[in-house]
Amino acid sequence: MEEELLRLKAEAVAALAASGKDELEPFRVKYLGRKGLFTSVMRQLGQASAEDRPRLGKLANDIRQELELTFAARLEELGGGNVGGSGPRLDLTLPGRTEPCGRPHPVTQVMEEVCGIFEGLGFTVAEGPDVETDFYNFEALNIPPHHPARDMHDTFYVSDSLLLRTHTSPMQIRAMTEQQPPLRMIAPGKVYRCDSDITHTPMFHQVEGFLVDRKVSFADLKGVLSVFIAKMFHSDTAIRFRPSFFPFTEPSAEVDIGCVICGGKGCRVCKQTGWLEILGAGMIDPAVFAKVGYDSEQYSGFAFGLGIERIAMLKYGITDIRLYYENDLRFLSQF
Amino acid sequence: MKFTLNWLKQYIDSGLTPAALADRLTMAGLEVDAVEPLCHDIDDIVVARVVSVAPHPNADKLTVCQVTAGDGDSRQVVCGAPNVRAGLVTAIALPGVTMPGGFKIKPAKLRGEKSDGMLCSAKELGIGDAHAGIIELPDDLPIGSPLVEVLALKDTMVEVDLTPNRADCASVLGIGREVGGFVGKRLTPPVAGPLPVLVGGDLPFAVEVQAAEDCPRYAARLICGVKIGPSPWWLKRLLLAVGLRPINNVVDVTNLVMLEYGQPLHAFDFAKLAGGRIVVRKARAGEKIVTLDDVERELDPETLVICDADKPAAVAGVMGGRDSQVDDATVDILLESAYFEPVGIRRAARRLNMNSDSSYRFERGVDPQGIPFALERAVRLILETAGGAVVEGGFDLCGALPQPRELTLRVQRANDLIGMTFTAEAICALLNGIEIPAVNRDGDTVVVTVPTFRVDLEREIDLIEEVARLHGYNEIPSTLPTVPMRFPEADTARGLRKRLITQLTGMGCFEAINYSFVTPRHFDLLGLAGDDPARKVVPLLNPLSEEQSVMRSHLLPGLLENLRRNINHQQSDVRLFEIGKVFHHQDLHTQPVEVTELAVVMSGRRHPGAPRLYHGDALVDIYDAKGLVDSVLADMRLAGAVCAELDPAAPPYAVAEAAVRLVADGKTVGRFGQLEPKMLKRFGIKQDAYFVALDLDAMAGMVAAPKVFAPLPKFPAVQWDIALIVDERVGGGEMLAAIADGFDPLIRHAEIFDIYRGKNIDAGRKSVAIAVTYRAEDRTLDDETVGAVHQRIIDMMQNRFGARLRDA
Repeated sequence: MEEELLRLKAEAVAALAASGKDELEPFRVKYLGRKGLFTSVMRQLGQASAEDRPRLGKLANDIRQELELTFAARLEELGGGNVGGSGPRLDLTLPGRTEPCGRPHPVTQVMEEVCGIFEGLGFTVAEGPDVETDFYNFEALNIPPHHPARDMHDTFYVSDSLLLRTHTSPMQIRAMTEQQPPLRMIAPGKVYRCDSDITHTPMFHQVEGFLVDRKVSFADLKGVLSVFIAKMFHSDTAIRFRPSFFPFTEPSAEVDIGCVICGGKGCRVCKQTGWLEILGAGMIDPAVFAKVGYDSEQYSGFAFGLGIERIAMLKYGITDIRLYYENDLRFLSQF
Repeated sequence: MKFTLNWLKQYIDSGLTPAALADRLTMAGLEVDAVEPLCHDIDDIVVARVVSVAPHPNADKLTVCQVTAGDGDSRQVVCGAPNVRAGLVTAIALPGVTMPGGFKIKPAKLRGEKSDGMLCSAKELGIGDAHAGIIELPDDLPIGSPLVEVLALKDTMVEVDLTPNRADCASVLGIGREVGGFVGKRLTPPVAGPLPVLVGGDLPFAVEVQAAEDCPRYAARLICGVKIGPSPWWLKRLLLAVGLRPINNVVDVTNLVMLEYGQPLHAFDFAKLAGGRIVVRKARAGEKIVTLDDVERELDPETLVICDADKPAAVAGVMGGRDSQVDDATVDILLESAYFEPVGIRRAARRLNMNSDSSYRFERGVDPQGIPFALERAVRLILETAGGAVVEGGFDLCGALPQPRELTLRVQRANDLIGMTFTAEAICALLNGIEIPAVNRDGDTVVVTVPTFRVDLEREIDLIEEVARLHGYNEIPSTLPTVPMRFPEADTARGLRKRLITQLTGMGCFEAINYSFVTPRHFDLLGLAGDDPARKVVPLLNPLSEEQSVMRSHLLPGLLENLRRNINHQQSDVRLFEIGKVFHHQDLHTQPVEVTELAVVMSGRRHPGAPRLYHGDALVDIYDAKGLVDSVLADMRLAGAVCAELDPAAPPYAVAEAAVRLVADGKTVGRFGQLEPKMLKRFGIKQDAYFVALDLDAMAGMVAAPKVFAPLPKFPAVQWDIALIVDERVGGGEMLAAIADGFDPLIRHAEIFDIYRGKNIDAGRKSVAIAVTYRAEDRTLDDETVGAVHQRIIDMMQNRFGARLRDA
């Protein structure tokens, strides 16, 4: 019997070494299975003499274990897996076990991106009230009552003196009345205008930013906004500044970027101009400095404001601004 | 402001292509909104003459015409226009021609009569609104020549979006002046040289200005014997091109001159002015006027009116009166050219809710020096188009008019602000280019005499802007400011918000943003009591709709609307949160208290979007809401400071037995629970939903537990389990608390791992299985020590909760 065991071992080792991946399972059945050759040899153990039995039993077991190890090693070598006849087959085509995450609103995502860029430039982030006074929203920003510039802001009023802020620019005044230059600040937040169509919602989000110090120039404004646009869009995004009018800045500018949809060739989004208006900016008007008690001979500064929804529309190709506030999961899950 | 390129060319030849001109205007701050050819696709339409007309044998309303179009023999055309007649010169689209809009003309038979072409109306050609008949052209036009050429239709309309400061550019001449600046030319105005002297005196009419502050200049002339009729084609064409409707030769001239000079004019029918007088005064209380738009308007004593001897004949600067308007029977006209004080006009226009091309210009400020020029131009054009004779002399009453301002511009100041190195000479050259006289005084300063047409240039800074603008913003370099390094202070509320967003999205919630204004109906839907403080809202005076008429005092209704919307769009597994402000009314003149809150709604499956294969279809329940709150509090390190308790006064929108409030320092800082199904139905939601609401401002103000390191244990812990049968009313959490909160120093943790009801357990009772973890800091625990504590726990449970050991 000992001979038989040793012969079987040699035969099995040789067979295993020669077997390919597809022959492994037949090998296992032939030698190691419940009805395999080793099992049948071991059944003969009962016929051995009592004194030989422990030694032969140990030998049989050792050989079997050794063979199982060799088989496992061979199996691994050939890249097989769980080939057991009864166990479930591993099906890696099934989906992974996920616990899907939600997403921040696209407006929040873009807002944070904008704030992040300016924070990197050392700007402080501050927020103010949505329901503002006429003074902070208009008067202190050099927009007296009955000024035609009020037409540019379709204002929601709460009372004679209170309104929903039409821009986050009031934070300029709030900050400047409380602090002395140098100042670098951005004010993100909701703003409101009574206007509603495919390109306007009565509420939208804006980031206002400003910087005040000695000897700040229009060239500095261009530099800071150029950095912002390069980071927000692409380092080779075309950019142009053109004269405009805001009562609280002078000189005032609108900033356009090369159309991100058509690359400047002209399309429906850019109204065939190749340019997209992206933000308003300018040097803070001395009249505003006068309102907050800064000496405009000593200090100068710039301010800018941009609409978050518009930037998000351009970045993600969103075509209807109203989608932002319907909070449809089919929309929210895209960003 | 609209104009056409040929119109502009009358005063200045820019030599630029339409596209280049548009680009230069935009870059000069006159943003071009549109550049459009005056008419489309009518290049092939030609002039034709109707030779003869015969009735159509088979149709009452059609005529059979013989028409010559200059291409040989006359052709037969069937026409339905009422004005077709022999001899009429009109426009024809010959077979093969495609009309604007794509319709292709082919030889055809109309009711059995051959028709070889189509006679066209102005509307069909896209060059006017008239469609009652075919276009009637002057007799002397060459037959067969292209209509586009003979009518000078080859022109381009340009629309400029003016900023409110550029009143001067609400005129073709003003635009021309700007063009002159960037092409280096001067414009030629239509009226130059000495003007007639208007000094009043013995005239057939009188003008009296009683409100000189509001009307510092009033000029008027009388033209007698005019013949009112349609304007000549060139005049109609210009008005049509910029979107104005031609009315008659006199009114059209006043409109043309308004567009040309930016000076609104008004023509009165002199015969209708009582007493042959003009009186400029404030309206009297109760006075009324029917304006040109046929609306009777009540005037108030703030409004400036132009009156005759008895009554108002026009609302000054805003709109004329119907009863003094020029009509077909008018013979003598009184022409007004005036300066009205801008704020007064703006107020009147607002009060009367009337915005006109006239008020637009007056409220921005017209050029007080331009008044006699515009008047002279209009007089000449009326004589040319309507005949008649102008009465020599007239009135030109001047009060305290805005005078040309003298400003000093410091070269250094300009360079500092712009970031350039201009010389005084360069600055003067830029300003002179747009007819602003500027003189280099001493190399360091420039003295500028601001012309009266530039009402926006009041200060040195305004001139600095002009210098930057005229030089071109894109020619200014880009630099980065040199500012002291400073660390920006972080805003704690914003930091908290950012962390919450990260955490909540990690828990599968999507962020929603809803409008800050809502409908007051939300409070009824929520079921709030009539005196609930949340009903004290901040209302808007001018909401867009009832749906958006008050500032929200709750975040929940917005999210419920979103939930309904998603369910209706087959998205029934919803986890949405919003972080936003709610507004608490104070009084109408005090800003409301704005509080930042967090609200979450959860509904549908527990694992939205996750493979059902692994997670199944289990629905969210109250423990999901509670777990979310626990996680948020743990992350904020406020778990110890906030305690959750069954809400003794559950809000009406929550299920009373499933409403929990979160209390810190005796103050409610949040709530969570199950939403009341009836309330959900009122919102149109038919599935269970749960909510969380937290007052973030209150939480931002709380002190978070500090992060303090505890050494890692040196000795192993052991875990012993107990199963206790207790009454249903005993809270599992209370049992845990009784064990874990200082019962014995060896206890490190206790956790419920199973709750069992049913077989072998009496009704009304449950088995709670708890795993208790024991550990000592200084030794490995033996069974005897643990067993002793374990037994004490069992005894305590018996005493406090009437518990019975399950296996015993």
